[in-house]
Amino acid sequence: MVAILARLLNPIIWRVPGHAARKLFGFSLAEHGSMLDLANAAHLAPSAERRALYLRHMLDEARHVRMFASRSSELRLSEGLPSLGYPVADTEDLFASLGEVRFLAFVHLGERRACEQFGAYSDWFERQGDRKSEAMFNAILRDESRHQSYTYDLLVELAGSAERARAEIRAARLWEKWRTWRRMGRFLAEKTYFALMLLIYVVSAPLTRLATAWRRRPAGWTNHVTAPPVRSEAAAPAVLEWTGA
Amino acid sequence: MSAVLGVSAYYHDSAAALIIDGKIVAAMQEERFSRRKNDPGLPKRAAQACLDQGGITAEDLDRVVFYENPFARLERVVMSSLEAFPHSWRQFPSALQSQIGGKVWVLDGIAAMLGVPRSLVTTVGHHESHAASAFFPSPFEDAAVLTIDGMGEAESTAIWHGVGAGLQCLASIPYPHSIGLLYAAVTAFLGFEVNEGEYKVMGLAAFGKPRFNTEFAKLLRLQSDGAFELGMEYFAFHTDTNIAFSPKLEHLLGPARQRGKTWNLGKDGDDQRFADIAASLQWITEEALLGLAREARRRTGSANLCLAGGVALNCVANARVLRESGFSRLFVQPAAGDADGALGAAILGTIALDGARPEAMTSAALGVAISTDAARALCTSLGIGWQEPADVLDAAAGLVLEGKVGAFARGRFEWGPRALGQRSIIAAPQDPGMRDRINQIVKKREPFRPFAPAVLRDRAGEWFAAHDNDMTPYMTTTSDVLEHRATDLGAVRHVDGTARIQTVSEEGAPEFFGLLNRMQARGAPPIVLNTSLNGNGEPIVGCEADALAFFLSHPVDFMVLGDVMISKGAVAA
Repeated sequence: MVAILARLLNPIIWRVPGHAARKLFGFSLAEHGSMLDLANAAHLAPSAERRALYLRHMLDEARHVRMFASRSSELRLSEGLPSLGYPVADTEDLFASLGEVRFLAFVHLGERRACEQFGAYSDWFERQGDRKSEAMFNAILRDESRHQSYTYDLLVELAGSAERARAEIRAARLWEKWRTWRRMGRFLAEKTYFALMLLIYVVSAPLTRLATAWRRRPAGWTNHVTAPPVRSEAAAPAVLEWTGA
Repeated sequence: MSAVLGVSAYYHDSAAALIIDGKIVAAMQEERFSRRKNDPGLPKRAAQACLDQGGITAEDLDRVVFYENPFARLERVVMSSLEAFPHSWRQFPSALQSQIGGKVWVLDGIAAMLGVPRSLVTTVGHHESHAASAFFPSPFEDAAVLTIDGMGEAESTAIWHGVGAGLQCLASIPYPHSIGLLYAAVTAFLGFEVNEGEYKVMGLAAFGKPRFNTEFAKLLRLQSDGAFELGMEYFAFHTDTNIAFSPKLEHLLGPARQRGKTWNLGKDGDDQRFADIAASLQWITEEALLGLAREARRRTGSANLCLAGGVALNCVANARVLRESGFSRLFVQPAAGDADGALGAAILGTIALDGARPEAMTSAALGVAISTDAARALCTSLGIGWQEPADVLDAAAGLVLEGKVGAFARGRFEWGPRALGQRSIIAAPQDPGMRDRINQIVKKREPFRPFAPAVLRDRAGEWFAAHDNDMTPYMTTTSDVLEHRATDLGAVRHVDGTARIQTVSEEGAPEFFGLLNRMQARGAPPIVLNTSLNGNGEPIVGCEADALAFFLSHPVDFMVLGDVMISKGAVAA
């Protein structure tokens, strides 16, 4: 499904001016998020063998971040577009919140999806004659394929059987859907909130003069009432917070 | 006696610090655990690591103190947005969303994070935390304290007087007039990331001439009593959170620099104008700090000064303040930015409970230690061969003297943004080519950024003019390199003839002390090039896994990991 969608959307994704750079930057962000999750796993996994596996995987993701960011930057510069900044993702602390087995199932799903998607992109760039992008996707694809394979083997080992591993993957898929639903909700809430706040802002307009007058503080020093020198609660219980604000 | 945890979060550089029975037990930034540079989130893992280090659980805490008052900050955000009506129409909704959507609930978040009753979590003021983190860990019984940063709840700058266990706020300068926000705006103008690129601007300044002084005097109007005022027409941070400067700044200084462009300095370089702008910013910052310091001296009469807040990390300015302000001594602790709020909050909580100030800080090694057992196990699982020499420090000293570049991870990681000998990249400091090698292939960073020397404290005077002060153990100042010793320090002497010196003692940095002593025993100068153990854009290494990840992805020649020595040839493909 992911591959079909990717193939259908390829002409739109890669041909819109500036979009390719943004898309690749988006991939570098996603890889950075994955890298942070795996770094967390490499810190927290209970066995040295698994910490080592996650660490190797993390290093691959770190390399992917650089590859995507670098290609994005090349495309951006060739189109004269401004910088997109550094790829710095948010973390969700998934290893701790999901537990190792569910985390592995989640990572495995992500790798499987990436394999399908990047395969479609690699084919596209091959047809377009863009050898550089094709080589990049192929190199990353090889890593993702290896990640897909080891995460499944490890998942079977930790879950106890192939059947249980598949159940974990199904559960991870459900969790992902739940997360997408929540993200959509958050997105909608943010937009609604923005509109509401804007309304409040407009409604507050008459108060701005009042606020300005009330808060007027000239530039320069504001002198403060001195506080007692000893700040023990027993000696001076009222001075824990200074009242400079 | 008491156990108090201090927490800073939700702006940048979140951190936790723990004080038990008047002793600073641990202080750590969340980024070392999350691996997200300047991580602003709640410091869950840093807090847990602090508790582990203290051998206690959250239930044992007598108090948890947050480093600022979220409601006072909310008030300032709302009021300043309304003051800027209608230009702040973009800022108001997003700022309020950020405040009401998360930041004002931070005390509940901290209680939930630790599993402690909400009533245990209290707050202190932002600048009060800064001031406490600067004065109480200092060796002074009496000192003037200056807190200077972007903004707190309502202030950007304050003068304090610390005496014994007491701290008084004498005067403050309100937001939006802020040296920190000026620095941030020019950092953005020069194409660097705000809250991250400021120290690059400081390094760049040495390559320029301050020929924009007249223009900068319009940006920051200095007054005779040390106060200052921003020329607000050149800035935009008060109307839009995402834009630091207004188009007028480009009219004043010329077009801003494009982010991510390769640097081309020198006579024919098209970036020389930007170096001159950085130099002018450095000039006005130093002038402003000097004015503030003189006013602090006038108001307190103290012979000692402590600095805190992000601006206090400007080690070039700190050196000048010590030289010219009239104070005899100056102390700047190593995490003087927003992380230090966690330490200040913990100290204020401790004083409130015990009535006595904690012991002075003697070392920045307040993080989690490298475990040699964990290092061995991880190396084995990764297929990396290792050795355990009888004296790993001597082996490392030998390799450095052979011209090798090493990664050095031993002991507890440092508090603050500087590598002070527990998580460092080390090399011989003589050859200028070493600086280029490390800049290009290991750190992959701008060519104008200097490296620092670490030197045995007792012998520092042989190479450095100003070496015996309260800042040099924490690398928060610079010193002139003695002219006749310049060739000894080709890789660490900056273009302006200074170096960001770290003096090393056994108490302050025991791991580095051991290494430098071994170098001395081999008949070499006890100086090493020291730069932080991290890749470009990454936080400094925390644990064994981070160190090995660095080693596997960067072309250093060897690594000391606890008692384990790994060389590049020992890594299986």
